[in-house]
Amino acid sequence: MFFRPRLFTRCLAAFICLVAGAVTAAEQTLRVAILENSPPMSYRDTDGRLTGFSAEIIRAVCAEMQARCELQPIKLEHVLDALGSGEIDIAAVSLLDTPERRARILLAAPYFRSTSLWFAKPGVQPGDRGIRVAAVKGSAQERYARSQGWETVAVPTNGELGQPLLAGVAQAAIVPMITALALMKSKDFQALGLSSTVMKAPELIGNASFGISPRRPELKEAVDGALEKIKRNGVYERINSQFLPFRVH
Amino acid sequence: MVTREFRERYRARTAFVILATTFALLFGVVVALLAMDQHRVLEASQRLQQDTIPQIIRFQRLARNLEQIRQEGERVFSATTPEGRQQSLFLIMLVASHPSILEHPQSAEAARDAERFLIETGNLASGDRSQISQRHAEWQNISKRLSLLVDDLSVQGASLATDDLNEMVAVMQLARAKLIGALILVGGFLLLLILLLNRHLIRPLQRIDQTLSSLSVDQPAPEFPDARMAEIHAVEQATRRLHDSLAANEAARRELELLANRDGLTGLINRRHFMVIADAELQHTQGQGRPAVIALGDLDYFKRLNDTYGHAAGDTVLQAFALLLEESFRQSDLVCRYGGEEFAFLFPDSTVEQARALADRFRQRVADHDIRLPDGLLIRVTLCIGLADASKSTIESALHDADFALYEAKRLGRNRVIVAAETA
Repeated sequence: MFFRPRLFTRCLAAFICLVAGAVTAAEQTLRVAILENSPPMSYRDTDGRLTGFSAEIIRAVCAEMQARCELQPIKLEHVLDALGSGEIDIAAVSLLDTPERRARILLAAPYFRSTSLWFAKPGVQPGDRGIRVAAVKGSAQERYARSQGWETVAVPTNGELGQPLLAGVAQAAIVPMITALALMKSKDFQALGLSSTVMKAPELIGNASFGISPRRPELKEAVDGALEKIKRNGVYERINSQFLPFRVH
Repeated sequence: MVTREFRERYRARTAFVILATTFALLFGVVVALLAMDQHRVLEASQRLQQDTIPQIIRFQRLARNLEQIRQEGERVFSATTPEGRQQSLFLIMLVASHPSILEHPQSAEAARDAERFLIETGNLASGDRSQISQRHAEWQNISKRLSLLVDDLSVQGASLATDDLNEMVAVMQLARAKLIGALILVGGFLLLLILLLNRHLIRPLQRIDQTLSSLSVDQPAPEFPDARMAEIHAVEQATRRLHDSLAANEAARRELELLANRDGLTGLINRRHFMVIADAELQHTQGQGRPAVIALGDLDYFKRLNDTYGHAAGDTVLQAFALLLEESFRQSDLVCRYGGEEFAFLFPDSTVEQARALADRFRQRVADHDIRLPDGLLIRVTLCIGLADASKSTIESALHDADFALYEAKRLGRNRVIVAAETA
């Protein structure tokens, strides 16, 4: 057997290409959509950088997956279409489990557990006649209100949920638990003197998950695994403490 | 032949295949038992990973949330503005209705009680601040209850892991006991194997080796204890057959030797054999400085006897004479048929005088002895004997001297004994 330098060089080159390819594959780029005006879940900080509970969780998940994630803003009402068409790979948006969502997209393992609150003047009960209920367009809360036959006022973002009430367009709002925390800090909102109750409807309580494009089903296992890891290694708890006053999972 | 009771024998290969199979089965069972323990440890550690640790984390979060309710409760009392108090009450409501607390009945109840109490306190506070301090003592109890629950949950979380670890330790200890048992079993089995090998193969082989290396016709036929291994038994049987065939060969050899060394008619040793052993005996005697005498005897008128009564009568006379010879001389004296009617003698340890007396007595005995011929006729024969001292000479020279003396005896008239020295 003779040593053949050229053959050896070619083999080495092929090997390097393979390894490089594998490294490239590991550092895949994912298009991640996120809500822009939904404090403290996701919002722009004073530097204009997207942050918040959902934003930092998805960053930690991407780091755990060793993937490069490009965050891009989206409105909740467009999430299902964007995921379905494959325009985005992941929606780092807290999605309650609804039949429509389950049918059209993949839901990752839950990253927190949510409830929904009823905000209204004292004495105004859910289902009262002649009231209009504010909800975010495309949200599970909006879906629930409509399914109950209530008149709704849709707003595009969680951050704007207080406005119909302040403007007197709506007399009540169904607000996701974490958005309620932000609303209650607003002086104007406090001044409305609304009372709040936790809604008992099972559609409005429970696991909230990121959405995954049905065109990228392999991502579900990776995202679930990464979530499981950060829940165990303390990263999740730190993010929880950073943005929210209590443990939400 | 000793008769043995019939015993079942096993082929060595069969026996060891059975032993090896038994060993493999036993070992397999032990390995399977250990594998089961290993599986249980794996299961326990997987449970620890997949169920227990998440459960512990859940308990930690739950404890954290209960603590949060307690802290917000304190804020309800310490708040300086209604808005601050409202914020805390709102947060308490959110936490108390969160699924993480609702799924744990004990915590849910404690949180609900605290929430109810604090909302009532909040409502009272909007009216009269003095009532708040009155309720604070009661709040201390609720707060303590929450704290204790937080402690319980922390300990409960830790003990969940302890339970799993204890189970693993128990299984590992059991596995260690089984491993020791397995080692003892393997050791015992090896010992048994060595004992069986030694008893049924090695020792029988050593016995066969010893027997074969000392196998001889001089020894009695080899005896072996009954072997349980068929192959060993076969080799032992073959060894016995070998001994039998050695003995048969030796008997045949002796028969042939007899035929070669003896005279067929008289049964006395022949001249060739006499020359060999008499020479050796003479040298031995001379070597020790002891005396010896050589003699030659010859029947008188034997040719005439043959001519008169026939060769059969001659043979009868020779046979009768040989019988007389064997009866008359010592065991140590050598006598042979030297040829025809001539006989040679060697008298070791005899002086010439002793030999002459012996020879003369024999001559007299022959002369007085009736010999019955085949036809019933009784006859008597005489003989001459020539003696020669062989104490110092070679056998040939002594025979020569004895022959000379014999010739002299014939010449002097027969039926007499002449010593060579006398004629010298």
